[in-house]
Amino acid sequence: MLKLLEIKDLKVSYGGDVILNGIDLKLESGETLAIVGESGTGKTTLGLSIMRLVEGTVQGTIRFNGENLLSLTDNEMQSIRWSQIAMAFQNANNVLNPVYTVLNQIMEPMVEHRLKSKEEARDKAMELLRHFGLRENRFSAYPHQLSGGEQQRVLLAMALANDPRLLILDEPLSSLDAASRAEVVNLLKETDNHRTKLVATHDLDTAGKLADRMVVLYGGKIIESGLTRDMLSQSRHPYTRALIRAYPNMTTVKDLQGIKGRMTRPVSGCPFHPRCTQAIDICSKEIPELLPTSHGREVACHRGGIITLLSTRNLSKSFGLLKAVDSVNLHVEGGETLALVGQSGSGKTTLAKTIMGLHQPTGGAVYLEDVRVGNRGKDFFRKVQMIFQNPGESLSHRLSVLEAVMEPLEIHGMGTSEERENKAIRVLGEVELPQTEDFLRKYPHHLSGGEMQRVVIARALVLDPALLIADEPTAFLDASVQAKILKLLLNLQEQRGLSILYITHDIAAARKVSDRISVMLDGRIIEEGPSNEIVAVPKQDYTKSLLNAIRI
Amino acid sequence: MHISLKREIKESGPGKTGLIILLLMVGVAVLAPVIAPYDPYQQSTASLLPPSWHHWLGTNQVGQDIWSRLVYGARTSLLVGFGVGILSTLLGTVFGVSAALVGGLYEKVVMRIVDAFIVIPMIIIVILISAYISPGIATLILLLSLLGWQGGARVIRAQALSLKERGHVTAAKSFGANQFYIAWRHIVPDLGPILLVDFIYGVRRAVFMEAGLAFLGISDPTVVSWGMMMRDALSFSYLNVWQWWLVPTGVALSLTIIGLTFVGHAAEPVLEPRLRGVEIA
Repeated sequence: MLKLLEIKDLKVSYGGDVILNGIDLKLESGETLAIVGESGTGKTTLGLSIMRLVEGTVQGTIRFNGENLLSLTDNEMQSIRWSQIAMAFQNANNVLNPVYTVLNQIMEPMVEHRLKSKEEARDKAMELLRHFGLRENRFSAYPHQLSGGEQQRVLLAMALANDPRLLILDEPLSSLDAASRAEVVNLLKETDNHRTKLVATHDLDTAGKLADRMVVLYGGKIIESGLTRDMLSQSRHPYTRALIRAYPNMTTVKDLQGIKGRMTRPVSGCPFHPRCTQAIDICSKEIPELLPTSHGREVACHRGGIITLLSTRNLSKSFGLLKAVDSVNLHVEGGETLALVGQSGSGKTTLAKTIMGLHQPTGGAVYLEDVRVGNRGKDFFRKVQMIFQNPGESLSHRLSVLEAVMEPLEIHGMGTSEERENKAIRVLGEVELPQTEDFLRKYPHHLSGGEMQRVVIARALVLDPALLIADEPTAFLDASVQAKILKLLLNLQEQRGLSILYITHDIAAARKVSDRISVMLDGRIIEEGPSNEIVAVPKQDYTKSLLNAIRI
Repeated sequence: MHISLKREIKESGPGKTGLIILLLMVGVAVLAPVIAPYDPYQQSTASLLPPSWHHWLGTNQVGQDIWSRLVYGARTSLLVGFGVGILSTLLGTVFGVSAALVGGLYEKVVMRIVDAFIVIPMIIIVILISAYISPGIATLILLLSLLGWQGGARVIRAQALSLKERGHVTAAKSFGANQFYIAWRHIVPDLGPILLVDFIYGVRRAVFMEAGLAFLGISDPTVVSWGMMMRDALSFSYLNVWQWWLVPTGVALSLTIIGLTFVGHAAEPVLEPRLRGVEIA
């Protein structure tokens, strides 16, 4: 099929700042592609480069209909711009000419390209404005008299005035309210479905509704691309997942999480590595290539996308005749929360202890980053840590807060005693505990339940583990303290990229903190899936009964 | 929740009495060179003298000052006592805790050895061995410790088995701690009170055994010992020397053992809180 637009190795820089760094894109005729990313990732620049309206240095090729736009003269480009390629801008105020009425603004490109006579142009403009739902009494208004939503409708009408073959939409719906947005999306989709569109947006909802394919842009590079539907339901790049987590919609059940840090550039190596939660050495040195994975998906990541941190294969643990854990297969990805839900006695804690090596499995094995875990050495415990049900029990009454938090560092013989102390104090700050001398000298029986559990969490985090197994961490706490602890765990996940295996009998708490839920009954995993699906459409009767129990 | 050994002893009348007696004895033993007017080994021709200003408790059959020997006897008695107390508690801790933590075959072997020693009457073995080697103080301490740690090991193992299931021990394991670390940092500190009680009983047993062996005349005859003094005094029972020779020695030995018993008894609730009755609430 004919490629309408083919971008190869596009590089754009303003002064010394590289905005786009080697973009390759192909767009087939009639296809809609979404360009997704945070503000400042270069989405607008990409659109402007195609329009040749960008002010910086542009390198590479942009082939439109076989012709390299970058080698055209200004006049040749002038004839293509607005007639064949049109763009609806993000910021209406800067684009609309304040001294023209709305109707005149839309007629302008048609008349200028001499495609239509003045009367025809007027009819066409009015038709377009009506199409985009602008009331007729606003047609002769000046731009500043319109609301933001109305301005945006005008811009869309303007872009479509010359019936371009390629329509570039830059945040097309950002200033519309939800109802108008749905209306305009439908208009674009239903009446304009044949047109090739490039939609630059940070709005995943718009991307999901308008686009067939999606590319995710970060730091001037494409880091993931694939079918929109697949990518929204299962992202493979940590950045894409983080974007989806940050985006509010009606199906998400987990609390919103941001992305740690801010975008910085220039960065050597992978542009995302300073904020990435699974970065390794190579990430800061080499730029990862965009490589195909499966089903037309491409990911640029040295680690092949989100890693599987921990998995169990047919893990079993019997006590005599009792099969406490029976052939359990589960996996925890880097940076995600997996909730293990089941009633007491279903084998959840036994499973956690078997993973930790506190019980010897009677069958199967545990894999850490796809390597089978044999004898657990100190390197295992540096990656996987556990917090226990009863914080009062799991803290020694002989150790002060500071001593308790320093204990893992001592066991691992890390640093000098001063370094250990500093580290412990820093982690106490992370779990939002006071760092005063007075508090550090306190003993567990001086603390409240919530404080004790925070100390326990700090103690588990002091080794900087990648996975935290939290076994009913709030079972002994009241609801308001529980809420704080769960929030804390989510924040830590955002900051540290911690993977969490959250064990609970409370499916209501699980849905607020987890990406996926595994339901356990009598030692077996009977159901597993994304939290929203498990909660909305449970397949197993047992899961339904768990959900019904909390709805009463 | 915390059981304080100090409080247990302080709050019991006999406990306080025992502690005072013990402190007194230890004071005498430590300050022996100051308190004793004569060298306990120094012999003179003035044998079997009755008490006087020069010799408070008279002299024995070879003219040694009895008071000075009584004072130095406290040294021997307490040295053996505390030596055995420390060593046997140490052995009991090592075997008891390691049996509890290591488990498996090792635990079975250790505990069967313990059972065997508990069944065999220790005093017979001690007498037999002593009769052959006439042990000096160091050998005696070693001998009594090797034969005396088993009872403590049993109690310590039982307690360690319960302690090792505590949350903070599990937590330490989950940081990758090895068994030594767990034993040293998490089990032994919590055994504290039990170890003290075990130690006190060890001391009492050793004081008694040392005196007994000396009385039988099968320990090192060159060491001043209350047991030996009583034996010597008894051989002159046809004279009235028992008044200032036998009785003060017997009283000193009895007081020491009574003091240890009182302290041990007062500290016992540490091992078995149910002994405290209702005041526990």
